[in-house]
Amino acid sequence: MKMHVKNRNVAIIGIGQTSFSSHKEDQNQAEMVQEAVIRALADAGLKIGDIDCIVHGNMELFEMQFAPDLWHSLGTGAYGKDEYRITTGGTTGATLVCAADNLVASGLYNTVLAIGMEKLQEGNTTGGITNMADPLWFRNLQTGALTGTTAQEMIDEFGEERAKRAAMRYRIMMDKHAMLNPRAHRRFGLEYSQMEDLMANSPPLVGELRLIHMCSQSDGACAMIFTSEEKVKQGTKNPPVWIRDHIQIHREETIPNLFGFNKPEVTHHYAARTLFARNGIQDPVAYFDVFEMYDPSAWWAVDWLREFFLLKGDEHLRMLEAGDFDLDGRIPINPSGGVIASNPIGATAMLRPAEAALQIRGDAGGHQIKKEVRHALASGFGGTFWSVLMILEKELNWQEVSHD
Amino acid sequence: MTEYFGTTVADIFATMPKRFKPEEAKEVDIAIGYEATGEGGGKWKATIKHGTLKVETVEGELTDCKTTIHTDAETFVGVTLGMIGALDALSSQKLRVAGDPKFLMLLLPKIFTPYVAPAKKPDAVTARDIIATLAERFRPEKAEGVAMTIGYDLAGEGGGRWTIIIRDGKCAVREGLADPLTVKMTMEAKTYAGMMVGTIEAVTAFTSGQVKIEGDMAAAGATAKYFRKYVVPGATEAEELISLRVTNSIEQRFATGPVMGRWFAGIREKKFLANRCPKCGRTQIPPREICAWCRVRVHEFVEVGPKGVVTHFDIVYFASPDPLTGAVRDTPYATVYVVLDGATEREAITVDLKKEDIPRLKEGARVRPVWAEVTTGSYRDLIGVELDEEEGSL
Amino acid sequence: MATKRVAICAVAQHKNDSDLWHKRFQGMLLDVLEELQAQTGFTFDEETGVNTIVSCSDDFFDARTISDNGVTDVLGAQYRGEEKMAQEGLNAVGYAQAVILSGYADLVLVMGHCKESQSESRRMIANMGFDPFYGRAVGLDNLNAAALQARAYMKKAGLTEEQLAGIVVRARQFAARNPYANAREIVEAGTVIASPQLCDPIRQLHAYPVSDGAVGMLLASEERAAEFTDKPVWIAGFANCMDSYFLGDRDLTANFALKQAAGRAYRKAGIADPKKEIGLVEVMDAYAYQQPLWLEGLGLCGDGKGARFLDQGGQEKYRVNLSGGMLAGNPVIIAGLYRAAEAALQLKGEAGERQAPDLHRAVAHSTTGAAGQFHSVLILER
Repeated sequence: MKMHVKNRNVAIIGIGQTSFSSHKEDQNQAEMVQEAVIRALADAGLKIGDIDCIVHGNMELFEMQFAPDLWHSLGTGAYGKDEYRITTGGTTGATLVCAADNLVASGLYNTVLAIGMEKLQEGNTTGGITNMADPLWFRNLQTGALTGTTAQEMIDEFGEERAKRAAMRYRIMMDKHAMLNPRAHRRFGLEYSQMEDLMANSPPLVGELRLIHMCSQSDGACAMIFTSEEKVKQGTKNPPVWIRDHIQIHREETIPNLFGFNKPEVTHHYAARTLFARNGIQDPVAYFDVFEMYDPSAWWAVDWLREFFLLKGDEHLRMLEAGDFDLDGRIPINPSGGVIASNPIGATAMLRPAEAALQIRGDAGGHQIKKEVRHALASGFGGTFWSVLMILEKELNWQEVSHD
Repeated sequence: MTEYFGTTVADIFATMPKRFKPEEAKEVDIAIGYEATGEGGGKWKATIKHGTLKVETVEGELTDCKTTIHTDAETFVGVTLGMIGALDALSSQKLRVAGDPKFLMLLLPKIFTPYVAPAKKPDAVTARDIIATLAERFRPEKAEGVAMTIGYDLAGEGGGRWTIIIRDGKCAVREGLADPLTVKMTMEAKTYAGMMVGTIEAVTAFTSGQVKIEGDMAAAGATAKYFRKYVVPGATEAEELISLRVTNSIEQRFATGPVMGRWFAGIREKKFLANRCPKCGRTQIPPREICAWCRVRVHEFVEVGPKGVVTHFDIVYFASPDPLTGAVRDTPYATVYVVLDGATEREAITVDLKKEDIPRLKEGARVRPVWAEVTTGSYRDLIGVELDEEEGSL
Repeated sequence: MATKRVAICAVAQHKNDSDLWHKRFQGMLLDVLEELQAQTGFTFDEETGVNTIVSCSDDFFDARTISDNGVTDVLGAQYRGEEKMAQEGLNAVGYAQAVILSGYADLVLVMGHCKESQSESRRMIANMGFDPFYGRAVGLDNLNAAALQARAYMKKAGLTEEQLAGIVVRARQFAARNPYANAREIVEAGTVIASPQLCDPIRQLHAYPVSDGAVGMLLASEERAAEFTDKPVWIAGFANCMDSYFLGDRDLTANFALKQAAGRAYRKAGIADPKKEIGLVEVMDAYAYQQPLWLEGLGLCGDGKGARFLDQGGQEKYRVNLSGGMLAGNPVIIAGLYRAAEAALQLKGEAGERQAPDLHRAVAHSTTGAAGQFHSVLILER
């Protein structure tokens, strides 16, 4: 596997999130962005003058705002600075982190501020996602990102009862995590005793995908600040979190050819396999202390855990059932409550590394994992099953790992 | 002092005397204990007696309190500011009340002005009170041409059964449930009240199954716009925040090009023309300029179908609105993935299934296309597929 | 240790056209991709090929959320990394340079496309680039914002109708030698001056024509460039800069953002005096008045001296827009990417009939937003 050598190391030194809500009538888009930026600067102990470059991303057609970085510059602080706007759909937030990593590692910029945002209530989200489809064909058929096929496949593979319980256990676990995160948008206070009731009574969307399984539509923004190892050595307000490696895997335009008689390798699996191999990580479950996964629905989440951790058969279900993914489990998933709890799309995939970094710092507050977090995995999802995966580290000592 | 949401627990107690409304508390005789755990927390006791208020910090046990509130400092501030729903905090046990919580929720907003002006507390307004204001909140200008009957079955205290009749620009409220109803909504009375005063998000309640809707879902969603927003009596209305409603539309004219163009020419003749990769042999439907796997240009066209096999399907209960027109389809409908005869095994096509065939749909079913009467070379030519039962299933 | 320099190994341009009604943009990009592969022989091999693609397109112009999803196939991005520069395409070159310098990739494919003809009103799209409360409501778009700037600048620089017409006449003369240009017909000054006002003082022939196009480039690390070309063009510096959003907050003739961007790019390239060290310039002149204005911002012409610059042959001295420039027609989303492609061809000595002799350094420029809210500057050298 081709190894790349980073020109220089890059650390996350500041994180700012707005709260996530289905209505933010008290802020316009630029003001909402500014809230996240101010928080990230405060977290890093920096002023806007310390930032060399801004990276901005969201999806234009959700808010129907063309080239939104121009107006949003009132909130991003880009005035007088270098600025890039990079987008890749649902993966945008994760791509922005990759881009900031690249820009700092390149040596062209020392300190970069990345901002992902979405104000979904200002447009039609499901309609916006449906606009992904080719206008000539399929746009008339797509229903946003809603599908029940994964549920059906899991039911076929593991039996109805076990599959449904797994999805609902994951969903309630996410709510329990979200309840500990005051910024999370949807916090229901669900209990495992409600499992049967929700399995039967939550309104169905598509097949066995029910409303309770699906992610929210939120307004919100996330900002992160990145800097070089040289700058980190001059001192940081909070402990730095290092970006060890990232990988972005896209695939072709069509979706239906994921639903033939057999499937190509899932992009998540390809991304994980490639990333772990080139970093010498043989047992991801043992290596990582937390995984912030882009989980658009409970069904997808359960299914994808198998792909990301390169598990076989029903290992992922057994781990879920044993509580391995709980906050105090072997490898906690989404202590933040995940995408299911909060989903401002352009920021969503950035919240994954942001939350993972907070876990490494020990600054996650109510949803902090009790044991020490040294190695974190974060993922993004978007497009037609596009995958972004990145490894965050507490220490700059990973060479040892890659050579064992 | 540790801050949560930009303020402290201590400040909330420090401002209590300023926010106290003695004239509302003439009949009140109560001592309330507060215990807020964690950083910035502490214990406080508020004694309210015949229009007077005494707030004191307490070391050690809280004694002689009719009611005590136990929570962590963050939740306390969050609930006070309305950043955390009080009901959410109660149901998750993050906030516990020894004594009667309902009584407190009734009393406190009455005798104190809110800590932060726009913050609204869940009130003791009942669903019955809110239903009683429906007729006066009706907006005939929004309900022009609307004719519907909405049933509410609200269980528990303050609940009941009502029918709202909207017709000819008028609104009437009747006790009991009429038959037939356009839509019927069943929930706890307190859930309804919570949604109306803004302490419970409607989407949240619906998602978690707290609200059951029978009948026309779209009608249920539309009802809100026929009425002015409910305002809790005595509450000062929050500053009105103006939202702009705009429909943006840009005319587009799409080229189909020689590859998609060929597909549409086939569709016009009621034929499925896939293009076949010269390297891996896969049949692309609809055809693309290139095979993404092999990264080679694809020239050869082959006819596949017209019949095929269902590999997967989606029964859709939630119809996505058309992004341009906002029109919503009837539910449920079925979207099926079909590998057409002669197509390679991964290359499914997505189409709608005829509605009447949904009950008999299963994986492996054989289907045949249903074409429009007049075909013009667009996606509208293919209405969908129907089960092809003469041949049996796989 | 990662590479120190990044090369543009090859460029390929789709001919600009007012209405490529017979082709999807996927097909346009595929033509460009195949030409790049023919020139260089690069592959998408996991070990030795292109694993990172930086695309450039726009959701509004393509009328689809995630516009890069519509072209993943023809970018070769199947199970590879792809990122979309959602700004003008010159920034994709700047970003691709960073990706290579970072060590993450040693080859990057840059691919941009736009079919302006697909949207029946590019002005409507530009209007949606303003805030929904004020800017859109007063009907601002790039044309009428530019007209405000044109009037202010003509007054400051003493620019005349005749000089504006001269810029257009000259652009067409060069465009006639550029097989990729859209508007290649020679025009007379009188025709320009007689063309109807679009938004006073901007006349129809002062404005770039609606265009469809696609551009691609292969970038490589210094270590690998020789595998793909014997005439690498090196990226010496890139920078961009954002100005304030509200037109009223800006001095529209002051070139604040462009001066910042150019200053930073020159510094990176080690250029102390651009007037002495730049041999060729490709500026993104969406409207005729912008050519001298942006040249002021690039430091090749004194502040407010645009008119004198034109009279004294400044355009020939700095070989301004030998491609015909944007006035000859490029889509707004990738007009700067076309500038970079043309500058690279000139430095390679592959610019055909429009080739300038003895070139060492060239500048490519682009701008986005109303009246140049955002500028990007790329310095290339042989």
